[in-house]
Amino acid sequence: MSNFLTLPILLPMFIGTILIFLAKKHRIQRVIAGISSIALLIVAIYLAYAVYQSPDQIITLEVGDWSAPFGIVLVADMFATMMVILSSIVGAVCLFFAFKTIHSDREKFYFYPFYFYLLTGVNGAFLTGDIFNLFVFFEVMLISSYVLIVHGGTGYQLRESFKYVVMNMVASAFFLVALAYLYATTGTLNMAHLGERVAELGQEGILNGVAIIFLFVFGAKGALFPLYFWLPKSYYGPPAAISALFGGLLTKVGIYAIIRTFTLIFVHNPSFTHTIILYLAAGTMFFGVLGAVSQFDFKRILSFHIISQVGYMAMGLGVFSPLAIAGAIYYIAHHIIVKSALFLFAGATEKITGTTDLKKMGGLLKTHPWLGWLFFISAMSLAGIPPLSGFFSKFALILSAVQEQEYFIVAVALIVGVLTLFSMMKIFMYAFWREPTIKEEDINKKEMFGLLRPIIPLVVLTIGLGFLAEPIFTYSLGVADQILDPTNYIQAVLGK
Amino acid sequence: MSLLHIAIIAPFLFALTVPFFYKKISSIHTGWFVLVLPAVLFVYLLTFIPTMASGEVITHMLNWVPSLGINFNIHLDGLALLFALLITGIGTLVVLYSIFYLDKNKESLHNFYFYLLMFMGAMLGVVLSGNLMVLYVFWELTSLSSALLIGYWYNREKSRYGAQKSMLITVSGGFAMLAGFSLLYVMTGTFTITEIIAQADVIAQSSLFIPAMLLVLAGAFTKSAQFPFHIWLPDAMEAPTPVSAYLHSATMVKAGIYLVARLSPVFSGSSEWFWLVSGFGLFTLLWGSFNAVRQTDLKSILAYSTISQLGMIMSMLGVGSAAAFYGYKAGFTAATIAAIFHLINHSTFKGSLFMVAGIVDHETGTRDIRKLGGLMTIMPITFTISVIGAFSMAGIYPFNGFLSKELFLESMLHATDITSFNMQSLGILFPVVAWVASVFTFVYSMILVFKTFRGKYQPEKLEKKPHEAPIGMLIPPIVLASLVVFFGFFPNVLSNTIIEPAVKAIYPASLTGIESFDIHFSAWHGFNYPPLYMTLTIIAVGILMYLTLAKWQKIYAFLRLHKKDPINYIYDGFLDKLVSGSAKVTNLQMTGLLRDYFVYMNVFLIALAFYTLYHFNAFAIDTTNVAPIPIYVWILVGIVAAAALAVPFINNRVAAIISVGFVGFLVALFFVMFRAPDLALTQLLVETVTTALFLLCFYHLPELRKEKSKPTFKWVNLFISLGVGSLVTTMALSAMAFGNKKPFESISNYFIENSHDLGGGDNVVNVILVDFRGMDTMLEILVLGIAALGVVTLIKLRMNGKEDV
Repeated sequence: MSNFLTLPILLPMFIGTILIFLAKKHRIQRVIAGISSIALLIVAIYLAYAVYQSPDQIITLEVGDWSAPFGIVLVADMFATMMVILSSIVGAVCLFFAFKTIHSDREKFYFYPFYFYLLTGVNGAFLTGDIFNLFVFFEVMLISSYVLIVHGGTGYQLRESFKYVVMNMVASAFFLVALAYLYATTGTLNMAHLGERVAELGQEGILNGVAIIFLFVFGAKGALFPLYFWLPKSYYGPPAAISALFGGLLTKVGIYAIIRTFTLIFVHNPSFTHTIILYLAAGTMFFGVLGAVSQFDFKRILSFHIISQVGYMAMGLGVFSPLAIAGAIYYIAHHIIVKSALFLFAGATEKITGTTDLKKMGGLLKTHPWLGWLFFISAMSLAGIPPLSGFFSKFALILSAVQEQEYFIVAVALIVGVLTLFSMMKIFMYAFWREPTIKEEDINKKEMFGLLRPIIPLVVLTIGLGFLAEPIFTYSLGVADQILDPTNYIQAVLGK
Repeated sequence: MSLLHIAIIAPFLFALTVPFFYKKISSIHTGWFVLVLPAVLFVYLLTFIPTMASGEVITHMLNWVPSLGINFNIHLDGLALLFALLITGIGTLVVLYSIFYLDKNKESLHNFYFYLLMFMGAMLGVVLSGNLMVLYVFWELTSLSSALLIGYWYNREKSRYGAQKSMLITVSGGFAMLAGFSLLYVMTGTFTITEIIAQADVIAQSSLFIPAMLLVLAGAFTKSAQFPFHIWLPDAMEAPTPVSAYLHSATMVKAGIYLVARLSPVFSGSSEWFWLVSGFGLFTLLWGSFNAVRQTDLKSILAYSTISQLGMIMSMLGVGSAAAFYGYKAGFTAATIAAIFHLINHSTFKGSLFMVAGIVDHETGTRDIRKLGGLMTIMPITFTISVIGAFSMAGIYPFNGFLSKELFLESMLHATDITSFNMQSLGILFPVVAWVASVFTFVYSMILVFKTFRGKYQPEKLEKKPHEAPIGMLIPPIVLASLVVFFGFFPNVLSNTIIEPAVKAIYPASLTGIESFDIHFSAWHGFNYPPLYMTLTIIAVGILMYLTLAKWQKIYAFLRLHKKDPINYIYDGFLDKLVSGSAKVTNLQMTGLLRDYFVYMNVFLIALAFYTLYHFNAFAIDTTNVAPIPIYVWILVGIVAAAALAVPFINNRVAAIISVGFVGFLVALFFVMFRAPDLALTQLLVETVTTALFLLCFYHLPELRKEKSKPTFKWVNLFISLGVGSLVTTMALSAMAFGNKKPFESISNYFIENSHDLGGGDNVVNVILVDFRGMDTMLEILVLGIAALGVVTLIKLRMNGKEDV
């Protein structure tokens, strides 16, 4: 059974490699890519189910049969498998949207291989139980993202991607440095083993400094304040399918790594480390949303919102109670789905109107009502309007912060909520209200439904995650309980 | 799931079918299909009156998100039923009215009825929920549907403005309320309203009592348009008139009043609650009535009138809360009874007046009272309705407004008897404000009727030739006007059936010990009844002021109130500043310059990491395990450092590249010295290739110019490089010192011991790379492969960005 664990990593890796050889035949590429993305989703769901059913709710695999903590170990717990499901969902949806939108030149230049390699890196980062291996999966993910973000090579992309690459390289260099410190102080790289040893050492002295460097590194990947500068402009360049995939997924890998390291390894001085995270969360939320408020471009508003919402997830970790962690988990799920959907709507809108500048759009609700309403649902979900998924996740976070008497962060979260609503209303009012800019006879219904079809599952999910909040929240609480009790994880890996 | 649950969900489900009716059966006005639902619900709800009158409370449980304490519980008591009847009853009339108001060929009826039904369901949900969070869910849905209805004609600038305003204000209030509910949860451990009320004394003891109260009131005041949050309501008049009649006078704006009434058992008895609710109420009453007089648009008059009347009801609830302090004697409960009674009356007369305004607008094409006049003979029925509605609002016998207005005056007079809460000195304000506001109310009621229907008929200013409205449009206001008259003569029909059960919800027997309230309304209380004289003087002064309107109206210009409500300057200014301010903040950080970004990031890193090291006293140097350093190593280190330091000062590109390469090759030499030949080889290879690549690109690079930058620029650079360098070094030394003392072995021993036996190789590094941690190596190869493929793509694929999205 546990060999099954490698499938979310190996499947996209092999598919990516096969697709290189079919680069010139874009139809065959699409068929293979489409089927594989669905297969990957099925694998992810099955894995999550298997983990849920297993006695400890953790399945581990010692790669190459080298026992932990010496070899690399893959660990699938509830958190990791949930993330793999989310990445597979978004991966499939954005892929099908790409079929409808991207130019065949891209397909001939290894668009799909890069796409699948990216998923390899992402899934690996979720599943690995070894912190050096995490670095390697980050590299796989990042190098693919570098290529995808510059794919097409327009002047804008080259300029912004350069900054994206350089900033990420610096963060990666610090990752390596932090790994060296960690190894020097603890003598191990296995995350479960690290958890055990840091606990034994009482997380004293320099270990806290190492924790801060890790926070810096993952914070830079996850776009925390004040490390998010690479994000807003670089996400504007690539095609919508890629912006959507990145917007939904990539920063969340950073957040996942922060949550993992600060619940499993660096958990012994929460009054110091987690308080810092809480303040960073506040700054992230606030400055992110101010960026969104100031913009008048569909994609740019969404890009800034990624930052502000990453803040909510960090807030859950900062508050650091079971309810707060569960809220953060729920929020991640909600955000990945809704954010990708919104970016895809931006893409669909651009395809229809030829622009992402809100001031040049108008009246889409009249000409494209389906697009308008589906967007509206997603936008309201993002703003936390009940009973959609955004509400329940935000509510859990706010309730937990009130319980822990962190009133400051509650105030920030609520104000940011209002500003989120403001900027989402801005998109809706400019693009979908006002006088139509498109003539009645130019409406291409077939094209529109082609564009909407891949997005609909995401909208259904955000509605579903809201109405079916109980099972989702129970699951999130299960995840929170599991990651807040590291002994479970440590035992499953080290077998003591 | 009970029938009552279905009653709440039904409008939502029905709403989903509306587009179908609109598209498929377009020959029949969609409103006819919709009409069925509120009518059925109204009749269904009527059947609960006897049950409620007998004092029963109906509850149904339905789990939704139990792990967060959110359950879709129904709690039907007198208060809930009263509101539910208003929602469905007036809803029925409004839908009927809208059928004639909105043209089936020109309007997007599917949108309209979708929003309207969504509102109806949400509003029923608000009043029937027994769980605060479910109430909140529906509360936000009412805000949402209200905004959509205001923006119904979304091609109009003003509609969009009004929609945004109402959404921002009511949702902000909602968010505050959410925080307030969370505080209540923290205090009581539940969201169930009855359980919270049962713990009222626990809450009163808590330090969170006041914050929770303020936050909950923020929700109630924004929704019920209390000063200074009232500014969204006049702009909400951009909605089609049936919506104004329904949401923005009869139902949604009363949600705040509902909430205050519902949570009265929790908060009342404290002086803060008393003062906030009655104070904001009274000021809103005064502000609304005073500003209504200056309006020239029929619907604007009605909007300010609604604000004023909502303030009036609010103030009565505030005064009524004193009963919790004084033991529920009749004198204090009277205010609450009056509040409930007036709430019903207001819905009837204001609903009919809005419909009249809609008729006038529909038939003449304008709502501007400067253009209107002399319509009495042309539209006699409409005129009659408006007289009934406006006179009731003004508090004139024999209409229902007279009765509740007198009770209002009585309770305000009674408020002066309160001996605590600082009322001895300030209490006199209550009847004074009530009297002044009532005078203005009288004046604008007269304006409403007489400026429209009397005076000079000016057909040249009207867009259409006016005539009496179609009968379908007249029926709903006639029904409401009949109720105004009927309740005026027979108010006691309501007293024990509707009002007493509602009052019992505000004064629950569990807290008060009072099983029933004896409610009896009458129009005549004898001559020894001060409110009578107040009413008489109000009418006398009101008539006088109406007649001299032109003379004293200048006061509005003098007070700078003539253009727009001054609070609007704050709101508009805030939004402008918000956008421009956030653009400033954003542009300040998002400069687009990599160097700036690195300054921010690195300063953050240096400050935070050094602070952490300092905080945990983590600095340490441990030289016990350090090998002796031969002199030639020192020399090499010196050379490397010198070569590295030279790079920033070299102005020649070739020299710079050679210098960088020099550093790299010397590092390779270090590897040799530390007996890592494979690493040294790798390093040599990397350096060679990098240098070669540099030189290859050389031809394409522009000439290297000497950087002209300010000294501060360079100092910052220097500071940051030194900071990062010393951070990395300090941490490395400290980590080594820490590691030397660790009580366990490094995993590397395992590799050293087992590489031969288990890995089949003597070079431990090789065995680690290809076997122990072979997966890392495989993935690094993948990284290289992707990079190679990426380079190909980067070179060969050139798009202009317009081919796709």
